[in-house]
Amino acid sequence: MTTQGTYDGQLLRGDEWRGRDFTGQSVAVIAHGHEAAAIVPEVARTARAVKVFQEEPDWLLPATLPLPALLRRPVARLHLRLAVRDPWTRRRLTPDHRFNTRRPRTDGHYYAVLQQPHCTLISWPVYALVPGGVRSAEGIEHHVDCIILGTTAAHREDLQ
Amino acid sequence: MSTSTSKGAFDFDQMLQTIKDKQWSLADIDWGAPGAELVTDEVRAKMKPFMADLVWIEHVGARGFASLAKKAPTPTIKRIYEYFHAEEQKHANAELALMKRWGMLDEDGNPPEPNINVKLAIKVLDDYGDTLPLTGLATLIPLLECALDGALVKFLLDEVHDPVCHEVFRHINSDEARHITVDFQVLELIGAGPLHKLLIESLALLQPQVIIGLIVVFTPLINKMRDNIVAMGLPEQKLYNAVKRFATIGSRGAHTARIPAYHVLKAQAAMVVDRTSPYHRLLADPMVKLTSFVPARVLGKPQAWVDELTHEPIAS
Repeated sequence: MTTQGTYDGQLLRGDEWRGRDFTGQSVAVIAHGHEAAAIVPEVARTARAVKVFQEEPDWLLPATLPLPALLRRPVARLHLRLAVRDPWTRRRLTPDHRFNTRRPRTDGHYYAVLQQPHCTLISWPVYALVPGGVRSAEGIEHHVDCIILGTTAAHREDLQ
Repeated sequence: MSTSTSKGAFDFDQMLQTIKDKQWSLADIDWGAPGAELVTDEVRAKMKPFMADLVWIEHVGARGFASLAKKAPTPTIKRIYEYFHAEEQKHANAELALMKRWGMLDEDGNPPEPNINVKLAIKVLDDYGDTLPLTGLATLIPLLECALDGALVKFLLDEVHDPVCHEVFRHINSDEARHITVDFQVLELIGAGPLHKLLIESLALLQPQVIIGLIVVFTPLINKMRDNIVAMGLPEQKLYNAVKRFATIGSRGAHTARIPAYHVLKAQAAMVVDRTSPYHRLLADPMVKLTSFVPARVLGKPQAWVDELTHEPIAS
């Protein structure tokens, strides 16, 4: 059923995206929230278009703050509320408090960059890489020039 | 695919793997293949409002799964619901692509405008979807899927002979079979929970917004669609069979019958399919009429998920 194949564009894993120029390129980033928060602002600086396939959202703080553990999540929630006005986007950026136990990380302007016109947040599950790009479970094939796999995604067997 | 819950726990991990293995894409379908000409002008005019309703019901159903994901009892079931959310979106996208193939969309390929009852459902999901207790939505969704799968889709396939349509619905039906299996297995899981939790969740369903939602939104939405398709020629027996299927699968489980919402919706469904029931005269028909006077602008702007429909198999 799934038409698998090898992706024929540029595929970057882990940290390989660092220090590169993506001018003129459309880029897909497949990563967890905290990884995407590090990758996307940097990539979006030069890329023509960025599609962020967020595997799971994480809590993000506006800056490195010396907060007691008890306050980190409420502050991260408030940061999300203030930084993202669209309720549907905000919902998709809100972690599931029952299952997500990762500690909040620093935003790095991720929320602001995500809302730029050339960035798109996609929360559909990605199930395959095909010659043209990324297939996600809403039935659409997303064609891109370059795919960046975050550390977790880089270890997924179905995305090799 | 088995829906029995007899011995031993259902393997949700295995189901998640199956769901991942069975993914398909709009890009797998040849949307320009011959067969579109089999949809005559007469069939096109007749099926256009039906297809528009179908697209929107799938799209709203997708949003329902997004709410279920927020309530899922385990991370695996949450992931399954996230896939189902996407798959229902895929079904809506594929049905929109069929509408485009059959010349039912405008020149720009825009999705059809939802009717007022769909707009009301969108409003309720936006405002309350994520706060409803799991039992309510987890019971409502399999009922809608049984109706969709057992009556509407069968009707469509009887009426339309385009092979591409049949290819698309082979995929959709295969997905829906898994949805229904999981839906009822989750009901079993909920039903097997402690009685006090079931009662608390059921009492939570008695909130005014839920009751009003059921009466003002769900009742006319379903009735309007019911009457529309019966008027188009769907035998009422098919509706009856679809509801019977909901009751039959539910009764196979050892614990589903402990869920009060299951009994309430089963009873309502039985009244919906029986046009002679006073339910129609006293409640459903007046609600269809009343809601037709609701101006859409009082509902405000829906959330951005309503704009996620697309008939394009490839996005660049």
